[in-house]
Amino acid sequence: MKRVRRGGLAALSVGMLLAVAACGGGEDDAAASGDEEITLWLAGSDTPQELRDYLVETFEAQNEGATLVIEEQDWNGLVPRLQTALASEDQTPDLVEIGNTQSPTFTNAGAFTDISDMVGDLGGDDLLQGFVEAGSVDSTVYAVPYYSGARAVFYRKDLFQAAGIQVPTTLEEFGAAAKALQAANPGGAPNFSGFWFPGQDWYNGIAWIYSAGGDLAEKDGDQWVGALSSPESQEGLAAVQDLFANATTAPRDADSAEPWIPFNNGEAAMFSAPTWARWSIDLPECNKGVDPEDESEAGKALLAEQQACNEEKTGIFPLPGNAAGEPATVFAGGSNIAIPAKSQNQDLAKSLLEIIFSEEYQTMLAENGLIPGNSSYADALGDDVYAQAALAAALDAKLTPPAERWAEVEGDRILEDFFQEIAGGADLAEASARADQLITETLN
Amino acid sequence: MTAPRTTPAPPAPPVSTPAPDVPVEPAPRPVVRARPRPFRARLSPYLLLVPALVPVAVALGWPLLRQFVISFQEYGLAQEFGQPAEWVGFDNYTALLSDPYVWGVIGRSIAFCLVNAALTMVVGVGLAVLLTRVGTAARTVLQVGLLLAWGTPVLATMTVWQWLFDSQYGVINWLLAGPLGAEGMRQHSWIIEPASFYFVATVIVVWMSVPFVVFSVYAGLLQVPDEVMEAAQLDGAGPWQRLRHLQLPMVKPVLMIVGLLQVIWDLRVFTQIYVLQRAGAPTRETHLLGTYIYSLSKEFSMAGAMATIMLVITLGLTVFYIRRMLREDV
Amino acid sequence: MSTAVPTRARGRRTGGAGRRALGALAVVLALVWVFPIYWMVSSAFLPTNRLRTSEPSFFPVDGTLSNFRRVFSDGTFFDAFRVSLAVTGITLVAAILFAFLAALAVSRFRFRGRKSFIVTILVVQMIPAEGLFISQYRLLDDWGLVNAVLGLTVVYVAAILPFTVWMLRGFVSGVPIELEEAAMCDGLSRTGAFFRITFPLLAPGLVAAGVYGFLQAWNEYTLALVVMTDPEQRTLPLWLQGMVEANKATDWGVIMAGATLISVPVIVFFLLVQKRMSAGLVAGAVKG
Repeated sequence: MKRVRRGGLAALSVGMLLAVAACGGGEDDAAASGDEEITLWLAGSDTPQELRDYLVETFEAQNEGATLVIEEQDWNGLVPRLQTALASEDQTPDLVEIGNTQSPTFTNAGAFTDISDMVGDLGGDDLLQGFVEAGSVDSTVYAVPYYSGARAVFYRKDLFQAAGIQVPTTLEEFGAAAKALQAANPGGAPNFSGFWFPGQDWYNGIAWIYSAGGDLAEKDGDQWVGALSSPESQEGLAAVQDLFANATTAPRDADSAEPWIPFNNGEAAMFSAPTWARWSIDLPECNKGVDPEDESEAGKALLAEQQACNEEKTGIFPLPGNAAGEPATVFAGGSNIAIPAKSQNQDLAKSLLEIIFSEEYQTMLAENGLIPGNSSYADALGDDVYAQAALAAALDAKLTPPAERWAEVEGDRILEDFFQEIAGGADLAEASARADQLITETLN
Repeated sequence: MTAPRTTPAPPAPPVSTPAPDVPVEPAPRPVVRARPRPFRARLSPYLLLVPALVPVAVALGWPLLRQFVISFQEYGLAQEFGQPAEWVGFDNYTALLSDPYVWGVIGRSIAFCLVNAALTMVVGVGLAVLLTRVGTAARTVLQVGLLLAWGTPVLATMTVWQWLFDSQYGVINWLLAGPLGAEGMRQHSWIIEPASFYFVATVIVVWMSVPFVVFSVYAGLLQVPDEVMEAAQLDGAGPWQRLRHLQLPMVKPVLMIVGLLQVIWDLRVFTQIYVLQRAGAPTRETHLLGTYIYSLSKEFSMAGAMATIMLVITLGLTVFYIRRMLREDV
Repeated sequence: MSTAVPTRARGRRTGGAGRRALGALAVVLALVWVFPIYWMVSSAFLPTNRLRTSEPSFFPVDGTLSNFRRVFSDGTFFDAFRVSLAVTGITLVAAILFAFLAALAVSRFRFRGRKSFIVTILVVQMIPAEGLFISQYRLLDDWGLVNAVLGLTVVYVAAILPFTVWMLRGFVSGVPIELEEAAMCDGLSRTGAFFRITFPLLAPGLVAAGVYGFLQAWNEYTLALVVMTDPEQRTLPLWLQGMVEANKATDWGVIMAGATLISVPVIVFFLLVQKRMSAGLVAGAVKG
């Protein structure tokens, strides 16, 4: 009796396990029914809904019987998802958006289809060349630019006026203006920064290296070597260290995230960020206390008033370059788009890629404030100050080195550590030599 | 209703009080009787094991085995996409073990692990004992408080901890510099120096791990039969004596298991360190084994080799413990 | 913060006043422990522009419910809630049941391979599993279980089992076998003795293991991330992480509101099983 009972329990649980395993089989049959379906993975919420609708409609009109499913993937989890899904014939999306610094890792691993023969039709030399380079191995192109966003400097007009500072026209003037603002502290905030420049913010900091003609790493034969110690890079880094010491009180243990918070709190006169940061500026004197989900007309009107007030008090300019009238070479963020090699719908994916690079779609990207992959359509960005600043900055923007293992340099946070050291007043030459060595070791 | 465990002698009828020698000496560990049993009975333990063994072997054992095999190959993302993997013998291991930086990481991790495991156990056992000595209301309040610390999504709790220790807007700096008058702390950065970084990490790790210890040990303490405690009390044993000579020895199996798990978990602590590093700490100087392996994760074979090395370290740290446990267990 | 936690000198006193003092101490400690959580909940009631300012807001005075309303504004929270509930429920039932049987086997039977089983179960937990997700993904992919609740469940059960077996084994062997034998002398069968005597005493252990399993499955992120790529199959941690924007300002107030709501079932689950725990205790005390 008792043994039967116990055996029964064990048998029951085995039975459950089998039952659990058995009901797994039927899951994937649904997808196989009907006509062909392709999947596009878009990263983050950057592509507006209107553009997604356009893609689905146009694709389905052009490819009778085929459907397009767009799945939005978070930027945060994109790499692990690509690592797994791209290697699976069943699960791989048919077209993917991927961050431009993530792209070399995957192109070199053989994750994407060779699309060199399409490049001419997609835009050829008009495509953002830095992005094409990031998506290529030698001269074979695997990924093409989707869009780019560049950084520009936001500033408080009232603080500039109170301190008697003009909008700077060269990089040198910019440094001087930042220091003068910091010294003047026209708002009287206890912890005031002329330019919000946290210690780990290399995204903004490399503009000084690039503008001085330096680089993070350079290709020497078939080896990549760290290039922070080159005389050009050192010149830029000296200016960076000067800013850290005299133009900012931002913590050394912060990075480029959410720079508008001290700006909104009146603790910084300038910060540099992608132009979409305009939507996060929320000065207390302009805040109308509108509930963010207030959909009423009155609420919308108040919000519009608030935004207008913020934009009136805030100015924006592209970080100036070495000479008046030319912008600095800033870091370009953005993404590439590629066809996974394991996709079973290569032709349909290519058809979708062509739609993305059509004049209509590229223009729509630009109209939504994104610098389109094909720069000849960038005019559609519009002529407000934000679009102009973005465009000016983007024209001369530059990416991180297109080394296969660059993503590991970022993963190891070598540049965060390096900039933090500089912000702490470390000896430039020594710190650069150490960082160069780490970069070289990581890249090879 | 829920008669608290420590109420002095309820009129409970001690119908069949067990072994009479319980009061002061720790009870002998359970002895598994080895009587001759028919075949079906000998089979039944295996049947009982099957449901647990199958999923573990398939969904955990096989991937672990694969990780181990890969550690002797050159295996990266390209191999996932079909390039052949090359056998490299112990190359990955020698590359790691000949790097003084790796030894630094190992040393730091062991120190961090021991300090955190010890702190967690001391605080956790203390709170568990406290739970047995307070009324229902206070007990539930403390339990729910601990549970919240344990059960709230890590994304949120880690964000809050970052905010609390933030150099610019952190409540801790605000408290120290404002009401407490330590003006120098106004912009103090808690995570930029490794020592201070590990202090913050310890606070957070202990905060998150103590609840588990409390719940487990408290559950263990509840197993100590009332009658035993009452008998001891009648014999004149005070609360401290009962704790030392009766309760703690009786929950020793639980204590050992929980302690062992703390060592294992604290050695591979990942999330808290990772998030704090991203909050602005110098990464290279603050790596522990968990984050270091993660930083190798693009090179699957290296990460696999490091995982094996970590297994050896963990075994080394706990072998004494395991052997003792097995010996007492019979 | 941890400095506020005195760890020794506890449990020396007893009796009315001492007991009340200990009760007060417990409440104070609970408050210390819960402070970061309080901060989260309080932030959930604040508009984003009040979250990080030079003067912290300790109380959400003039707070807003807007963050909570926005959590519910599209149905995605409920979708994720349903998926999470299914994953956690199946995982928990399977893991606890399987683990209980295995724990029974190792602590109440002696058999060939028993020690190797115990050691294996332990060693498995010592190997860092951060890098396993790729192999596990391939496994599920071969079985067509990617983007399926069941697939995630299988992996979770496997991940939780070693711990739960190990834990329950401690609790089963914590019940002296003499108790069962005494009951058998009183005429109960072995199985009867087990279920009448030992099982009730195990309730706290089952609860502890259950809470652990629940939290693991409820809050797991890495595996869910790669297995559940279909936005309709997201679990709550994925939903929450999805609110962190990369190219837009993250609305932390909404995240804190979401996290607060995600914690509610944890508390509910605990309060439910905690009743069981006390019931089991009473039964155990009477029978003992």
